[in-house]
Amino acid sequence: MSAPLRRLRETPRHLLVCERSHVRHERSRHAARVRGHAYNCRVSFLIPECGVLPEPLKSVTTDMGEYYLVKNLPLHELVAQEFISAFVKTGSCYALTYNTRIDQDNTAALLPTGKLILSVDKDTYEELGLQGRPSRYSGKKVMRYSADGSTLMSYFSKHQIQAHQPKITFSTLRNLQCPVLCSNELQGKPEESCSAQELFEWLGAVFSNVELDNKSFSFVSTYCCPEPSTMMDQAYLCTITGFILPEKIIQLLDQLCAYFDEPKLAQWVTLTVHGFADSPVSWRENEHGFQKGGENLYNFVVFRSLDYWLQMAVGANDDCPP
Amino acid sequence: MSQSSLYNQNAKLGYSTVAINHVIDFKEKKQEIPKPISPSELLPSLPIIPGKLKPIKIVTRLTLVVSDPSHCNVLRATSSNIRLYDIIAVFPKTEKLFHVACTNLDVDLICISVTEKLPFYFRRPPVNMAIDRGIYFEVLYTPAIKDSTMRRYTISNALSLVQICKGKNVIISSAAERPLELRGPYDVANLGLLFGLSESDAKAAVSTNCRAILLHGETRKTACGVVYTMKKPQPVEEEEETLPACKRAKTQV
Repeated sequence: MSAPLRRLRETPRHLLVCERSHVRHERSRHAARVRGHAYNCRVSFLIPECGVLPEPLKSVTTDMGEYYLVKNLPLHELVAQEFISAFVKTGSCYALTYNTRIDQDNTAALLPTGKLILSVDKDTYEELGLQGRPSRYSGKKVMRYSADGSTLMSYFSKHQIQAHQPKITFSTLRNLQCPVLCSNELQGKPEESCSAQELFEWLGAVFSNVELDNKSFSFVSTYCCPEPSTMMDQAYLCTITGFILPEKIIQLLDQLCAYFDEPKLAQWVTLTVHGFADSPVSWRENEHGFQKGGENLYNFVVFRSLDYWLQMAVGANDDCPP
Repeated sequence: MSQSSLYNQNAKLGYSTVAINHVIDFKEKKQEIPKPISPSELLPSLPIIPGKLKPIKIVTRLTLVVSDPSHCNVLRATSSNIRLYDIIAVFPKTEKLFHVACTNLDVDLICISVTEKLPFYFRRPPVNMAIDRGIYFEVLYTPAIKDSTMRRYTISNALSLVQICKGKNVIISSAAERPLELRGPYDVANLGLLFGLSESDAKAAVSTNCRAILLHGETRKTACGVVYTMKKPQPVEEEEETLPACKRAKTQV
């Protein structure tokens, strides 16, 4: 009887990788990490002690670029000669199937390196006779396969193609309790600064609009801001939702670092990027699955001194981030 | 009609396949097994799962509640309507019948009682034989939603099943008659954790195991699961233009 009870107390498997470095360090891999995570569906940044967004940041956020939705596109069009020469060879092309669930349906993703990754269920795999390998997260019965294919694409004018702009929302949070962080101490020092994990959870609470003070009548959450913390008058939160390219995220990150060129009240700013829950790959070609939640996200905390913390998190059916 | 709202709710929650169950209880007077209702008669158009473009798939299922060995004879009859159902389940009420169901009967599912204390204990040999034959055990969750005493029985019966079968070959299904009694697939997978299943077994209980049962049911319509015959519609004979038999092409020797 005790085994199921013990299992109930455990949380589902999840991984959080934290690393620390400096933005201008020559061996800093922050740009490589951002470029490795190809499919991003939501980018948010939080600037404490800021009421109005500075102009350069504003212009970068509004210039996130369009993305296109093509309906009912047969995959073989992705493998036609014209498309490879027109799009894949000339620049980086990103594509991901939309409205398919990774644990049920067939999903395809086109990486900027020109690789087409297919995640298919058992029936499709056997019908098509693809060359591939079983997914690592199917358990004993193998149900999902990944296959690589060379990519070729063609123009989509004969299919229904729509251009979309990413949705941007801005908000100013008032009277926010923020944890105190020390850039040298990833693990936090008791009574002096909070650890990276505590910051990660606090950020999640802020993004979900959860009350941080554990009021007695609140049924939703008993979460409290980690100590030591300070009370901030205001903080600026901006969220961009859509299909966002890593290059734009690098530009945003550079602008956030430039925010500290002038003296500011804030000690640190954060940039959080969420990947698609249904994408077949997370970083580079690491496999991504959906057990009960398909999170694969990363978070930068950039300090005034341009030190940064990078936290990469994945859920249950995922390979460890790099 | 309440049935169509049930299927709509299923599609909204994210299920891609639904089985309509017809229960036959042999304790009552002699019952005839009716032909299964075809889904197109039930609903003019199947609801589409939000987020996908396919409609949900509806399959038919028959559950036989057996409390006497003579009730099992209907499964051996070749001319009855039993063959037309996609899935056949049996609900044994005694230990002997449970043993027979696990070892001999040609069924896809064995239902586990969740509304009363188990009348018999599960033993490992018949359960292992059932697992080898590809038979799955079913636990219902809707009685647990309705009543707290049944909740206790559901959890304790399911825990004893999972202890013996080690989490293999278990599915969790609703016996919902109303849309309010349905729960989403990930919630049901979480409920599986309470029954002692591991994370991956619990997820399989609502996904891969159910697909396996459908395939097992299909093998009953085929020869050993390898060859499948289908009646070809006969073309209407035309008056002229039929080749006389002697002009048929000679085959190579």
